[in-house]
Amino acid sequence: MPTFQIHYFASASTYTGKQTEHLAAPLPLSQLFDTLEALYPGIREKVLVSCGVSLGEEYVDVNGDDGSVVVIGPGDEVAIIPPVSSG
Amino acid sequence: MSTTTDNPQQQEQHQQQPIPVPPHLDPTTYPRTTTNPALNTHITLTYTPLDPNAALTKISSPNAGANVLFLGTTRNSFEDRPVSQLSYTAYPPLALKTLSGIAEEAVKKHGLLGVVIGHRLGDVPIGESSIVIAVSAGHRGAAWRAGEEVLELCKEKAEIWKKEVFVDGDAEWRANRDRDAEGELVH
Repeated sequence: MPTFQIHYFASASTYTGKQTEHLAAPLPLSQLFDTLEALYPGIREKVLVSCGVSLGEEYVDVNGDDGSVVVIGPGDEVAIIPPVSSG
Repeated sequence: MSTTTDNPQQQEQHQQQPIPVPPHLDPTTYPRTTTNPALNTHITLTYTPLDPNAALTKISSPNAGANVLFLGTTRNSFEDRPVSQLSYTAYPPLALKTLSGIAEEAVKKHGLLGVVIGHRLGDVPIGESSIVIAVSAGHRGAAWRAGEEVLELCKEKAEIWKKEVFVDGDAEWRANRDRDAEGELVH
């Protein structure tokens, strides 16, 4: 089965209990949060609303213009980016 | 570093092959560095202790009249709760790009002679440095201003996360946007 890899950090890692996993590809970007909500009920409201999303090495807008046209393909790398706390 | 977890959600999930630790969580893939020789910017993410003298050496220049060094060190308390340990995780594909952009913009904006940004990852014992910033400029005004600006932009943007483990066993992920430079809650 073709897959993409998704990385979870900080609060997203705590909520999913994972640092990374593979999900079925292709997946339209606009369906990413629905897919995660189905796997981890409540994650949208508790975690994802405050997170950015990267595809490859670029940020993408899941709910905006990108979401309707971008498709996450096999072998792609996605990351859920919670509010940062370096320093 | 391990991918195991006590979270029961994981057992309920579809069973699949164990996934190896991704490279960005594997300390043996570090240090990771990005350098721009034209602008004399040096970015490092490392699991080993930061070296402030090495940072100063990188930015030293006969044209410099001011060299500013900032060390952020791990504090033993959060709102009076004793902290036993801090741990940092990064996503280098984004973090290195973000930090390079901050350093390069600072050189152009303030006419700097060099910028070093180094961040330590993994467990950082209390009192040790988690971030080093070094900037050099012809005069002190630009160096002071740029040093503070670079630090604040790092804390705002770099794809790095801090977990504080309390003496009572609790652990919390921090979010820099919740606090200002004095440590006060931002409303």
